[in-house]
Amino acid sequence: MDEERVIIPIGPQHPALKEPMNFMLKVEGEKVLEAIPNLGYNHRGIEKAATVRTYIQNLYLAERICGICSIAHVQCYAQGVEKLLEMEIPPRAQYVRLILSELNRLHSHLLWVGVAAHEIGFDTLFMYLWRDREIVMDTLELITGNRVSYGFTMLGGVRRDISPDMAARVKKEMKTVRDRTQYYKKMSSNERSILKRTQGVGILKPQDALALCACGPTLRASNIKWDVRREDPYLAYNEIPFNVVTSDGCDVLSRMIVHYDEVIEATNIIEYALDHMPSGSFREKVTRRIPAGEVVSRVEAPRGEDIHYIKSNGTDKPERFKVRAPTLGNIPAVCKMLSDSYIADVPIILAGIDPCFSCTDRVTFVKGEMGKGWIWTQEELRRYANRWYQQR
Amino acid sequence: MAMEHELLRNLRKKVATEKYPFIKKKPPEGLRGKLIIDMAKCIGCGLCVFDCPAGAIEMIGKGTAADLKVYLDRCHFCGQCAESCPSKCIVYSTEFELANFDKKNLTIEFKRKL
Amino acid sequence: MVPAEIIEFLSVLIYPGFIFIFTLAFFYEWVDRKFVARLQNRYGPLYAGPGGILQPFADFIKLLAKEDITPRAADKTTFRVTPILMLALALSTLFFIPTAYTTAVSWFEGDLIFVTFLVSILVLITLIAAWSSTSTFSTVGGIRVVLQMLGFEIPMTIVMVGPAIVSKTLSITNIALWQYTTGHYFAIYQPIGLIVLIICLLAEIKKAPFDIPEAESELAAGWITEFSGRKLALIRLTTDVELILAGALVTALFLGGPTGPFGIPSVIFFLIKTTGVILVISNLRALFARFRIDQMLGGFWKYLVPLALLQIILVTLGVG
Repeated sequence: MDEERVIIPIGPQHPALKEPMNFMLKVEGEKVLEAIPNLGYNHRGIEKAATVRTYIQNLYLAERICGICSIAHVQCYAQGVEKLLEMEIPPRAQYVRLILSELNRLHSHLLWVGVAAHEIGFDTLFMYLWRDREIVMDTLELITGNRVSYGFTMLGGVRRDISPDMAARVKKEMKTVRDRTQYYKKMSSNERSILKRTQGVGILKPQDALALCACGPTLRASNIKWDVRREDPYLAYNEIPFNVVTSDGCDVLSRMIVHYDEVIEATNIIEYALDHMPSGSFREKVTRRIPAGEVVSRVEAPRGEDIHYIKSNGTDKPERFKVRAPTLGNIPAVCKMLSDSYIADVPIILAGIDPCFSCTDRVTFVKGEMGKGWIWTQEELRRYANRWYQQR
Repeated sequence: MAMEHELLRNLRKKVATEKYPFIKKKPPEGLRGKLIIDMAKCIGCGLCVFDCPAGAIEMIGKGTAADLKVYLDRCHFCGQCAESCPSKCIVYSTEFELANFDKKNLTIEFKRKL
Repeated sequence: MVPAEIIEFLSVLIYPGFIFIFTLAFFYEWVDRKFVARLQNRYGPLYAGPGGILQPFADFIKLLAKEDITPRAADKTTFRVTPILMLALALSTLFFIPTAYTTAVSWFEGDLIFVTFLVSILVLITLIAAWSSTSTFSTVGGIRVVLQMLGFEIPMTIVMVGPAIVSKTLSITNIALWQYTTGHYFAIYQPIGLIVLIICLLAEIKKAPFDIPEAESELAAGWITEFSGRKLALIRLTTDVELILAGALVTALFLGGPTGPFGIPSVIFFLIKTTGVILVISNLRALFARFRIDQMLGGFWKYLVPLALLQIILVTLGVG
């Protein structure tokens, strides 16, 4: 290594990171040459916890993987279990879940644009966006009862129905949100100081985005039309017309625009779904024991593609539960974006992928113990864990 | 400067902040707050205890004679017990201001009337 | 008959000296916070006093009572002295600018140059304060403070000379009085200078969009990171005094200082004019995203320096 090169650690505690994660930046002057990520500061043992709880209890555990995309995680989990049961949930439940998923996307996206505005020091936009996000939060509160952990999705359907009164109010709010978002989109693409900080910052070329398996809005901002809702439709997404939003800027600005456009698209989806809701029951009874088998389910969470893997052995508890949060898919991409950028741009680039590092951490790996590489079997992992506890 | 007009418009608008502890907004009807158990209807099946993800409900005694103890400090208000209860004796009130300095105050005992 | 020395002493201590300036500092911090909050559709300070007017003072008292931590690696003497020095400098700069009366507390021919010098020293002390706390965030913040000074100092000094050339005096008090007596207000005759000065002062008092040294999302609190308790209280008071400084400087140089018709006490005019300037500054604060340090420097040298020079050329050609 040259003497000129300095390594700057960003994190695990850093004002730009709301959650612990470490990036080692190799820098030359103000330029970042390379970024090396270090995960594992917030391992919460959720996968282990899931295997000692029943399928019903795991609904609430899955919801608590992430506070912002809680609906997406619980939807992914419930969808997997329902696949194991080989059941189809009632059409009305599908629509209600879809509306909830889109409301979830709305508030997550508005939150992210607000955070991005704060990272570039535009607190006024941050305040406005969060104020308008409150409308969505109130809507969610109206439908589900609570604000963050909704406890709404059940195995075999949803807990409550959307009444016509609620539907009317949601439709009214959606119009407000859409109008406001259209204004913010126009403003953000005209305001010089925002353009200065976001245009050409954190470039991720389409071929890199594909090669590094980026997902969600990050991928779509690199002009690649990929959306799980379109590619592998779940719920009632194949019955509802919607556009997969893309932008060709490949930078933070186009990520912002993609988020705005998806908010507008989501309000349209919600209005369409409310108008075309089938009648009927919204919930079916489900047995407590789930047939043996394994399943991978995926949904388009607000932050990208969320993948859950569930292995059942025929009892009422899953044998193995694995979660891949969308942020994990975007970490290689963010390292690519960081290389060749300026240090002052690091916060906004990091924020640019809408990171949620705490949702991401699954296994903490301790090097060199078993003399093996990065792949451990479950048995080895179990033995290692037992030995670690005995030695403690 | 793209936002100047919006700024001045907001100057005349009503402030969005809520003066929460001083002026309280009515919670939505479906809010899950402190839970209430109607012991007259309870059949003592123990499903709520079995399904509670947080282990917040404890059963003292057995069968139809059992009393229930709820630890609100463990409860995360998911509402599964109300869903699981076959006799629908658990309801959630909209009382949500439950912060307390002492764990003891957050333990509620529901006793059967003799 | 009270001796003249005692009157002078009291004027430095109470009116228009320390007490007056501190009260004003808290008041203007409140104006700034409240106005920005209302622009952002929030309440801002609300509960301490009517409309939260006592909030800045309450914050000050709270900080005084807080634990005062000196980092082990810090240069202790410098670390302790710099907040006091900063406040003293900001205050003494304000004594050369007319506030309550049409003349400043102390003035002499050439105090305009002295004030620009004091403002630069203030920035240097900031660097020393940042450097002495030895934390990474502080050091980077301190470097950014000085880099920022390289940007704003030149155009600021150039436009401050504009009024001096026309009124043929180098004293801020006389410039203000000259505007009143001739009715030749520089805000009307030298608008470019006024705009450049306000933008430069925004950078000088480190308010958004030029709060680069304190960029919250990049540097925690920047150069103030390590200061706490009483030191932080003094630094915040200094920031408020600097806000008055900015308002008073613009008022004196471009708006005729604390002067006005109808025999109304001059302090009323001063309050009206500076409040106006501070509202403009607060509005600008809410209007932009933070610039990057290289963008800020580039922008100042590319646009503000030529504009300032243009203003001076116009002035020497007899326009303005």
